[in-house]
Amino acid sequence: MKKVRNDQFFSNLEKFVNKVYPNQPQRQPYLNLKSWPSPKDEAWKFSRLGKLARKNILPLNLENQKDFNINKLIKDSISLIFINGKFKKNTSDKLLSEIVIEEVQIKDFKEIINKFDNLSVKNHPTLNSTLSCSQKFFKIKFKNGIKFYKPIEIFNLGGTENTSIHPFIFIDLGKNTDVQIFQHYSTYAGLLAPFEIINLSENSNLEIIKIYDDKINSHNMSLTLSVINEEANLRSFALLKGGEFTRSEMHTLLEGENSKADINGIYLSSGNQHHDLTSCVYHNVPNCKSSQIVKGVLGEESTAVFQGKVRVEKLAQKTEAKQMSRAIMLSDKAVSNSKPELEIYADDVICGHGATVGELDEDQIFYLSSRGISKQKAKVILIDAFLNEMISLSISDKFHNIIYNETKTKINKLLANEYE
Amino acid sequence: MPILEIKNAELSIDNKKILKGLSLNVNEGETHAIMGPNGSGKSTLSYMLAGRDGYELDNGNITFDNIDLTPLSPDERSNLGLFLAFQYPVELPGVSSTNFLREIFNSRKKYLGENELSHLDFIKHLRKVAENLSIKDEMLKRYVNFGFSGGEKKRFEILQMALLNPKISVLDETDSGLDVDALKIVSEGVNNLKDKKNAVIVITHYQRLLDYIKPDIVHIMSDGKIIKSGDADLALYVEKNGYSEILNEKS
Repeated sequence: MKKVRNDQFFSNLEKFVNKVYPNQPQRQPYLNLKSWPSPKDEAWKFSRLGKLARKNILPLNLENQKDFNINKLIKDSISLIFINGKFKKNTSDKLLSEIVIEEVQIKDFKEIINKFDNLSVKNHPTLNSTLSCSQKFFKIKFKNGIKFYKPIEIFNLGGTENTSIHPFIFIDLGKNTDVQIFQHYSTYAGLLAPFEIINLSENSNLEIIKIYDDKINSHNMSLTLSVINEEANLRSFALLKGGEFTRSEMHTLLEGENSKADINGIYLSSGNQHHDLTSCVYHNVPNCKSSQIVKGVLGEESTAVFQGKVRVEKLAQKTEAKQMSRAIMLSDKAVSNSKPELEIYADDVICGHGATVGELDEDQIFYLSSRGISKQKAKVILIDAFLNEMISLSISDKFHNIIYNETKTKINKLLANEYE
Repeated sequence: MPILEIKNAELSIDNKKILKGLSLNVNEGETHAIMGPNGSGKSTLSYMLAGRDGYELDNGNITFDNIDLTPLSPDERSNLGLFLAFQYPVELPGVSSTNFLREIFNSRKKYLGENELSHLDFIKHLRKVAENLSIKDEMLKRYVNFGFSGGEKKRFEILQMALLNPKISVLDETDSGLDVDALKIVSEGVNNLKDKKNAVIVITHYQRLLDYIKPDIVHIMSDGKIIKSGDADLALYVEKNGYSEILNEKS
């Protein structure tokens, strides 16, 4: 096979960093990465970056002048706006005093990154590029005891086809807090490399819903590292529907006993889209629970990937871990890859995994049509049912309709194309 | 007035002939029973009538109210007023029973050019119909057929029949898996819906169901054809003597 890897991006990045941040040596270690991971790299086997490597992308250093439309999903939410990866305090909503946004330095969260002492994270292109060239690092801190009733909506906007943008955010929940966050990815960026760190202190609850809906030529390579302490609960849900290439990668470390992480998601893939949900959950202590449940619908020539890994350390007895992936194929040209992995060193655990891929059930379609429902409507009903099960399982009741509506237009598009 | 006319229906599945020239006429107000041994093509007949993919006729024709059924899809046939109660009702996890029933009810209303019912009015109507079939609210809150017992599934079929008010209903082995009490409820449900304008075809192995749903005409089906027709006594004869005598008589 002819190897076309130009990897121009990394030399562009280096030039950019040396010019813009000449006096910040802490950025230098992250310039070590010189090329994109190759398909030989196990973690990237199913998500190839050849096309990205051939793009000539420059890190974006423009103040953006354009106005952006902010479409809040929740009327009374608090919006935080990042344009071209930069936090826009003036266009964002005002925060309550219990929530603080502050600028931090790499050293302030270095310790957390070090906990994920794992090669695929260490050489992750998002981690490296974003830490080397992000202009400012923001931490959003929720003070102890906040039971936060208004959801926060973070909007990632901006970008152009030949530029990359690198939003960074550190979400830090104090003890006994209760927070809900929506993350919107709706950029035009050739490459969007959002790097997110989540720290959940004792007995805190975070529900985070990520909606990946970048414009059609975009590559989105999002990376999230989460640390969960005692009695804390992370409920994460990703909806992948936009972009040309979207990978939502989450590494979750259960570090305190009786903590819980649900890393679930849905992908809806059409055209030539490539969607990838990659998740690793590390059970380091006893009595924790996790789930990685993913469902998807693929049409036309799209491809999708689910890579789920659960690692249970010897110490982590009484772990309960669940993994499941289910895909519905609407086209015989679509491809779905599923790679569930269990790495278990403890002996008293309950771990289950499974994967299914298939077309919509002919018996079910016939049953519905025999009751006067058109074949196309029957498919809509069955896909809705397939996704609704997932939505009600994964997110709070009050957000069900919002997320259901977010899937709706894409499903209609998928089925309409099937009939063209 | 004939509702349904099947003439010389021939049908094969995977190049194997299943229906070999089947003819049947059903008039308004009639109840027909089709009996026959396993493998005689009874379920194929029901799928053929409902218009399932892969069950298209090789030869022959079917008309329903003088409309040629053969080019019509299952939903079009249902809208015309043809109903199939499934031998094995299909589970639809994730599809709420109440929403499903409202959807099919209103789509039939729309087809008939009648007003659709509001959510509240539909629920009232549904409660009334369900009560007659001893179907509790709790069952309607579950997913369609999902985790239903055999009896619940069959009652749910008749509930749909009652809501759609079809001109002709084909009941495919509706008695299988039912105990006597459930059999009574289901049969009463069917009998209550029966009037001079509609018709019922009961497909069954056993005479038992025919004690409750009285047929006007009984047909014996074998090897893809109707080989003998008669009145209700024919079913009793089969019950007593088995099929072999009739089959031998024919050959």
